Amino acid sequence: MRLRNGALSTVFFFPAGIFMLVFLVYPIFLLIRDSFYKIDIINPSLREFVGFANYTNSLTSERFLKALLNTVVYIGVAVGFEFIIGLILALLLSNAFKGSQFIRTLLLSPLMLAPLVTGIIWKFMLNDQFGIINWGLYKLGILSDPHQILWLSDSRFALYSTIIADIWLTTPFIMLVLLAGIKGIPISLYESADMDGANKWHKFRYITFPSLIPVATVALLIRIIDAARTFDIVWVLTQGGPGFSSELLSTYMYKTLTRYGEVGQSSAMAVIFIIILLVLSSFFITKMWSPRRRHS
Amino acid sequence: MAHMPIKETIVEKPVSLTSFRFKHKIWTLIVLVVTCLLALLFLGPYLYLLLTSLKPSAEAVTAPPTLWPSKFSIENYRKMFDYLPIGKYFLNSLITAGASTILSVFCGAMAAYGISRFSSITGSYFLLFTLVIRMVPMISIAIPMYMIVKSMGLIDTHFALILVYTSLNVPFAIWLMIGFFDSVPKEFDEAARVDGCSWIGAFIRIILPVSLPGLATTAIFTFMLAWNDFLFSLLMTSTNAKTATVGISEFLTAYNLDLGPMTAAAISFSLPVMIFSFFVQRYIVSGMTLGAVKE
Repeated sequence: MRLRNGALSTVFFFPAGIFMLVFLVYPIFLLIRDSFYKIDIINPSLREFVGFANYTNSLTSERFLKALLNTVVYIGVAVGFEFIIGLILALLLSNAFKGSQFIRTLLLSPLMLAPLVTGIIWKFMLNDQFGIINWGLYKLGILSDPHQILWLSDSRFALYSTIIADIWLTTPFIMLVLLAGIKGIPISLYESADMDGANKWHKFRYITFPSLIPVATVALLIRIIDAARTFDIVWVLTQGGPGFSSELLSTYMYKTLTRYGEVGQSSAMAVIFIIILLVLSSFFITKMWSPRRRHS
Repeated sequence: MAHMPIKETIVEKPVSLTSFRFKHKIWTLIVLVVTCLLALLFLGPYLYLLLTSLKPSAEAVTAPPTLWPSKFSIENYRKMFDYLPIGKYFLNSLITAGASTILSVFCGAMAAYGISRFSSITGSYFLLFTLVIRMVPMISIAIPMYMIVKSMGLIDTHFALILVYTSLNVPFAIWLMIGFFDSVPKEFDEAARVDGCSWIGAFIRIILPVSLPGLATTAIFTFMLAWNDFLFSLLMTSTNAKTATVGISEFLTAYNLDLGPMTAAAISFSLPVMIFSFFVQRYIVSGMTLGAVKE
């Protein structure tokens, strides 16, 4: 019976298994192998083993380190703002008032919007000639000249402009997850707090916030990983420029592969990137999840 | 805990009901206003893109910009077809996203059923695999995938994109479907088996129909990943199989001074998705919060 079940399980698993083997497991193997070679992109059979040279080149290259730093800034600023705004929105919408359901539905409709379209929207709004953001700030008297801030072509602002677009696109996701978390808190907790005369701040501090920690951890983890993988938004808005001011690891790897044809070099960077993300997320999980396990 | 003091506190605390109601009303009003402002902040940019696409073409890029179109016009929607073969790109997106959705839902459902019914490895192992795959940056896996597709001679074909999207979607599809199949009682299969169905027959005739909501959720997510993809299409297509996302981005490089048609293309690409997700939000929300909220 056991063998029969095993065989049946294999039959059912077979088609999916083929896809995952050929296009997920094999590529990762290939990636690791290629990271030790110098490869000609036109004729990939011309390859030369170079050991760890691709890795040492990456880790000592100023551009790679700059892209790494930018990625860290991007993740920190974007996810930080998304979490704060998302939390505020979730708390507001958890008050059941007339129309809250409708506003929630409206807020969630961009959840599935393509990052590319997000990039285009902000490319339009942040344009330094006809962009509505600069003109709006000018009309409000904040800017003295409607062409004053070159959001996308000034190296001081470019990275932050891409972050604005990211915050706009993904805050609803954080809100959604936190809202689901708030809805899952038993009402009896609030009722007994009411009995003890707790005010709104106390209820947030001692009930809502601690109860949200497990949910918030997962939401943050998902967002940190997705922010690290951002490509579309930055590619549409700045392509990593001007200079390398908004270059992220993802755009730099793309350029290393397509513009410079350095398969080995980009593979080494990709491996480093995967390792960083895996270490980061496992650190995050153990760090944040252990207290929860102790409590339950 | 502490049921005893509850009654006493109620008695002890005389609350002025009118002032409480008043405070409550003010609070609700503040909440309402702030929520509406924030909602506007998040919907505004998309509405602005929509309004811009409906302006006469030249008005889309004038300085100072206008919020409301001087007159509503479909000029941008006509012009986008003149500039680029955008219809073909949309068709390519539809073909690749549609085919990969069918494939990944089919393979995913089968594998999930196998795991759910016959396998001793539990879904949690699969969850781990799905999570690890999720943590691998797309660009990292895109590099070797590009090399594989290139060596197979499939660059710039629908087939390449369909294979890539299906592979990326299958782990997530399996993971979603395991959850749905586990909630279908095993007695269903057994009843079908007693009636003379084969395992495959029981799966197709009995289990799939009762799991339709799960299939729908999985299909929505897999379709959207493929439909919204930009990176793989940018990397692996040039003329034949180019999808809408890459096509739209080309307006930026080719027609930098006349961006009106680009807004029309971006709206044509995304408005159906926005409207669709408005109506199937229940499924989207259940899929998105699955990992985070479900224990």
